[in-house]
Amino acid sequence: MEFKCKDCKFYLAIDVFKGICKLDQKRIFPDDVKCMSYEKIPKCKFCSNFTEEKENLGSCMKNYPAYPDMTAINCQLFQWK
Amino acid sequence: MLKEYNYFGPAPDPEVSDRETRKKPTKRAEFLRDLYFEAKSSTSMEFPYWYTRTWEELDGEIPIIRRAEALKSGFEHLTPVIYPKELIVGGKAIYLRGSFPMPWLSEAFYLASEDKLYKEALESGKLTADTVTTMGQGGGNVTKSAGSVISIAGKFGLRKEELPVLIEISKKWKDKSVDDIGHKYEQMVPDYKDKEEIMRSVICMFDSGYTLPQGREVINYYYPLQWGIDGLIYICEQEINKVAGNPDMDRLYFYRSVILVLTGIKNWILNYSKEAKFLATVEKDEKQKKEYEEIARRLINISSRPPENFHEALQMIWLFHIAVLNEDAISGLSPGRLGQILYPYWKEDIDNKTITKSETLELLECLRVKFTEIDCFASTGVVGGVLSGNTFNNLCLGGLKKDGISAVNELEMLILEAGITCGTPQPTLSILYDEKLDEEFLLKGIECTKTGTGYPAWVNNNVAMEFLLNNYGSEGMQPEEARAWSIGGCLETSPGSWMPLTYKNKLYYIPGGSAPATSVGVHFLSLPKILETVLFNGLDMRTNERVFPSHNLKLENYNELWNTFKDYFTRAVDVLARTNNIQHDAWRKISHSIVNSLLKPDCLEKGRDIGQMGSRYNRTFNVESCGTANLINSLSSLKKNVYEEKNFTIDEFRDAVLNNFGYRTALETGSYSLIDQIPSEKFDKYKRIHKYCLEAPKYGNDDTFVDSILKEWEDWFCGMCSNFKSLYDMPLYACQISVSTHGPMGAVTLATPDGRLCGTTFADASMSAYPGTDKNGPYALFTSATCWNHSLSQNSQMNVKIHPSAVKGREGSRKFLELIRAYLRKGGFHLQFNIVDSRMLKQAQKEPEKYRGLMVRVAGFTQYWVELGKQIQDEVIARTEYEEV
Repeated sequence: MEFKCKDCKFYLAIDVFKGICKLDQKRIFPDDVKCMSYEKIPKCKFCSNFTEEKENLGSCMKNYPAYPDMTAINCQLFQWK
Repeated sequence: MLKEYNYFGPAPDPEVSDRETRKKPTKRAEFLRDLYFEAKSSTSMEFPYWYTRTWEELDGEIPIIRRAEALKSGFEHLTPVIYPKELIVGGKAIYLRGSFPMPWLSEAFYLASEDKLYKEALESGKLTADTVTTMGQGGGNVTKSAGSVISIAGKFGLRKEELPVLIEISKKWKDKSVDDIGHKYEQMVPDYKDKEEIMRSVICMFDSGYTLPQGREVINYYYPLQWGIDGLIYICEQEINKVAGNPDMDRLYFYRSVILVLTGIKNWILNYSKEAKFLATVEKDEKQKKEYEEIARRLINISSRPPENFHEALQMIWLFHIAVLNEDAISGLSPGRLGQILYPYWKEDIDNKTITKSETLELLECLRVKFTEIDCFASTGVVGGVLSGNTFNNLCLGGLKKDGISAVNELEMLILEAGITCGTPQPTLSILYDEKLDEEFLLKGIECTKTGTGYPAWVNNNVAMEFLLNNYGSEGMQPEEARAWSIGGCLETSPGSWMPLTYKNKLYYIPGGSAPATSVGVHFLSLPKILETVLFNGLDMRTNERVFPSHNLKLENYNELWNTFKDYFTRAVDVLARTNNIQHDAWRKISHSIVNSLLKPDCLEKGRDIGQMGSRYNRTFNVESCGTANLINSLSSLKKNVYEEKNFTIDEFRDAVLNNFGYRTALETGSYSLIDQIPSEKFDKYKRIHKYCLEAPKYGNDDTFVDSILKEWEDWFCGMCSNFKSLYDMPLYACQISVSTHGPMGAVTLATPDGRLCGTTFADASMSAYPGTDKNGPYALFTSATCWNHSLSQNSQMNVKIHPSAVKGREGSRKFLELIRAYLRKGGFHLQFNIVDSRMLKQAQKEPEKYRGLMVRVAGFTQYWVELGKQIQDEVIARTEYEEV
């Protein structure tokens, strides 16, 4: 899996095209490759309850649709893979 | 043709004039506004995902509890986003201009890529308005898909990673959404097929039940300000103890649903505080770090208890504003008389020297940016064709206090100043004009108007109160309470109440909204298009489909024409009112308003949500019209040319209309205003008839011939609405604002008897003259506009364009104020200005990248020029420009 800025806990989205790095306030893009300061943010794709089934779609606990890129910082079910 | 057509007064200077008043915002607000300018409208699936998942998990639960749990889940799972330098935090979704789809209202639109569903929706008339709407091509609109981003409705960007789940979630609402359930039952209305024809012909623009079921109303911030979130939860718990097991059990479920939703909102706020704390830990700049810590502390405080200072109060009302917006697709949730609501907090702070005026101004500027960030996710036809991307958060100033004295205060002066220094479309400002308001305040309003932002609107306090007492008197409204009114949405007169706020051991009566959406119902009816069907025996000549039954009349005299018009109009209102009632009934049963209800008096007292008439006032359904000036001018032309002077026959006229008076259509030319149209090879054949049409008496010139037609229309229209009932068994009232519908509705209408050409935009608003036809100056326009009693209608709307040179300097300001007073003293309801040189607008059309911040007034709202569709841009350019007042 390639880690990108959008998967980092320091990524702050301005919109669907771009964001800000919380560490230095520089403009970055969601699909930029991660830098040295990268720290993974909880997302479905990093969760042990998530099963990928097709591109950009899977299931949570194998019983409800879920999508890999959803942020899960407030999900009680989240468990790191 | 007619290059100077749209000017009144001497020709403008050769140089393009800029606006006279120019001030800059604070550095912080400028930074945040620039961030806004950078941001594109973006949508995400977080909230709808969790809403839908929780909803499905609770299959079989009491509907309002199920809804509350779904909303709670949505709030609790939202990822908080705080931007650098923000002093007021919180947003609808994970982006700066964030929003999200609400498939529980309507899912067909999101499944548009699936051909079969799309075709079904188009056939039923639901999406017709989308196809004739132009969306602004600049600014923050994501008009095209590119790379990892998909454009939805020509405005919203969605990351492609989220498209599959959007489709998955939308499918779960098929046959279950408000749209689908409402549609299922509205087909049981005997003449339902007529409704489909009316929608397909774009005689009516949209159904409010599933598109924008709430909004066009004034929020009420009193309850959280007075009791805090924990206090409100405690009140509900006590009420549950009283009502559980006793008759009228719906109250139990309502109180329980309020507790659930408040818990969700509390956790949402706490999640924001955690994010602020986190940001403080990684922030290197000491000042910013401290600000994050203060944000966190403020959020923790207001997550449980009432605010203890102005800044906390501001933060709290902002979060509750967003909380309401996240429960439904809403446009026009107005903060109301915010300067009067927050005055107790601000006065205490300023007296104690815990805040300065410059700090206040900075906060108010930040609030302006936050309001401007609000986006409403809906279809192209609604967002583009009706709203022009606007969300109509109208902040009102002035008016009277509970005891009848002027309500103006120092904080309102600062709100006006923030509107000047930090020009943004939201919140738009309105001055509730009363003779008791002092001159200094009014001149401050003039200074703000002269910035060219399009606000404040000038609104007649007495006319509004008379309307309210006429319509809500039967529900107990007294003159004292009528004074608490405010504008909901762009220009919807909305009832209010005086709420007893206790702060620092003092009692204040603050105003707040006390009715649900005041503009739901029959939206919008195209008057010129209905006249077209009269002239063509019930047919829509654009699609060649039958809309109304054949009248088979020869239309031999004016009365026959006028009576047939009234008959068709009545038929349209009748069927649309009934089908709309069914949609709203589906809405209140599936998608209960809980957040908005807990804020509205007297829902908590009664234990009922607003869908169960929990509000103090409930007579809020209306019939909205569009194209008044074109209808009146057309009737005038037919009366004069066909029936009185017999300059041409009705058959000759029909032929001329079908040939667009010998011009190319707007669709062919790409220009939607009367100016700049191009003759075709048939020009000579029809120029005589067209000349007669153009020269017929026009509204706006103090001409009794045409003004008497206006008066007859207004008296009849305002009266006939009450023959129809809302689902709450209350009469409808008239509402006369065009918003942006005059663009798409004009686009589908053939040439009209007033000389307007096919596809061109109608006159804006309801009291604005058609561009270039008001040749006797503003005072003649005012006399024409006030030939009828404006308090018969929820509103009337007049937009005037003035060249900056006409109101220049202090003397210009005084003249300007007298101009406004002249109209309002005559009984006019609303007056709004574009102080702009039209040539600047033309330049902006050519070079939009140089005019990102340019704002104009459309019809009841201000919008960035670059975010308007071309239909509306052309219409604003074409408006009559007064070079002198």
